[in-house]
Amino acid sequence: MSERRPYRRAQPRDWWAHKPYLGYTVRELSGVGVALYGGMLLAGLICLWRGPDVFDAYRRFLASPLSLLIHVVLLAAMLWHVVTWFQTMPKTMPKLIVGGRHIPQKHLTTAGWVLAFICSAAMIATVLAVGALS
Amino acid sequence: MSDAIARTKTIELRVLRYRPLSDTEPVFATYQVPWSDDMSVLQALQSIKDAQDGTLTFRWSCRMAICGSCGMMINGDPNLACNTFIRDLAPAPITIEPLRNFPIERDLVVTVGDFVKKIESIYPYIMPKVPRSIADGSYLQTPAQMAAYESFSDCINCMLCYAACPQFGANPDFIGPGAMALLQRYNGDSRDGGQQARLDSIAGEDGVWSCTAVGVCSDVCPKQVDPANAINQNKTKSAFDFFLRLLRPGDGS
Amino acid sequence: MTQSGMIHTNPKRSLAPIFWLLFGAGGMVSALFGPALIVLTGGMLPHGWGLPANFADYAHVLGFVRNPIGKLVVLAVIALFFWHGAERVFLTLKDMRAGPPPILRVATYGVAALLTLVTLALLLAVGF
Repeated sequence: MSERRPYRRAQPRDWWAHKPYLGYTVRELSGVGVALYGGMLLAGLICLWRGPDVFDAYRRFLASPLSLLIHVVLLAAMLWHVVTWFQTMPKTMPKLIVGGRHIPQKHLTTAGWVLAFICSAAMIATVLAVGALS
Repeated sequence: MSDAIARTKTIELRVLRYRPLSDTEPVFATYQVPWSDDMSVLQALQSIKDAQDGTLTFRWSCRMAICGSCGMMINGDPNLACNTFIRDLAPAPITIEPLRNFPIERDLVVTVGDFVKKIESIYPYIMPKVPRSIADGSYLQTPAQMAAYESFSDCINCMLCYAACPQFGANPDFIGPGAMALLQRYNGDSRDGGQQARLDSIAGEDGVWSCTAVGVCSDVCPKQVDPANAINQNKTKSAFDFFLRLLRPGDGS
Repeated sequence: MTQSGMIHTNPKRSLAPIFWLLFGAGGMVSALFGPALIVLTGGMLPHGWGLPANFADYAHVLGFVRNPIGKLVVLAVIALFFWHGAERVFLTLKDMRAGPPPILRVATYGVAALLTLVTLALLLAVGF
């Protein structure tokens, strides 16, 4: 007993940058893209509050090449968020047993991706319909 | 023996050694080990102990991936030594270290006492929903009821998931994937009525809330227990319990 | 004491569930509608693809935001997107050991709380 001298190895500070953890870190950073996009929307709301001239300047910014670039980058982050969100979400649910058999998590993941596609498509379709009817 | 498989090839094993009485810190030792296509990493370690250095210390027992004793870091990944084969890693040198995130007692042997305490802390036994005597006969359980918890009962306590978990590496008090798998084995069992007691035991920062869903624990599990599912479904339960307890009569916790 | 001599104490309850549920709600809303929103604000609305030219002009957007339902939608989207990002940035900074957790909480949750209040204030300020 007195011969024990347990040795603790320190956790590397950059563990999150190496495999198998790098994928997890990239996944988490896609969530940062979600917040940045929220910031863009808030900027629009601030411009709206400030009046028609400032809001028109915001609209001109949205039509600019820089805005297109930002949106493309944020879309990539958002799509990665969608993909990884539904990969992780089944882990937060108890095992689904239907008809005596366990439903594999990857079926739930696929269902989530399909639902996301339907919801986003429906939102765009709704905007187009409102545009056509007005 | 005429039917012995001849070990004509040699492979290099770099093994992290640590002898508390003589070493200030762990240091790698290199061994050239004759091997054949049927050999596991465990057998290579045993061959070193038999023929080259009898002081090499490591845990092992069943040699068939069911006792959970021989977990170690093999080329940087947590694995059971008896379940990892030289033929899949050769010809490059193999690096062997004790399980990450645990204190080293000696060579490849790590301290397991805290893990045992965590297992004990989650009420690892059926707490019957309704009192039952022998005269009532055995419980009946449908295949669906068993499927709800069965994978969590497959855990062999090998601790590979703790070696994989960076949040356990950052916080040694985190209850961790293996103990949570056992918790869910009981909470998911139709015979059990102890769900609230177990939920209360993991509602703190060192309970479920140290987990950030990294998920590598489930990737390394040799028995497909899916401890990540055990922990994360209990985040959902713990989160709802956080608000629902305000509606519960009397317990004031 | 139990049979094994184990004393079970219930640990101090964490407040993490509040932020985790906000993270979850924001994650779900952004996963389902985020791509559509980006396509709308990044492409369709500024360039009028498939839409009348004045669809997203000041008057129309103001009308939407003045509507009570519109306010709820805008508040939900902006606030939840910030709370989702706040939890992820907090945990990532904690993984990277960028600072003591209490400071990291203020820098993430605190900013999200502030921006939520700013959003609410603006939504009220544009009127009904």
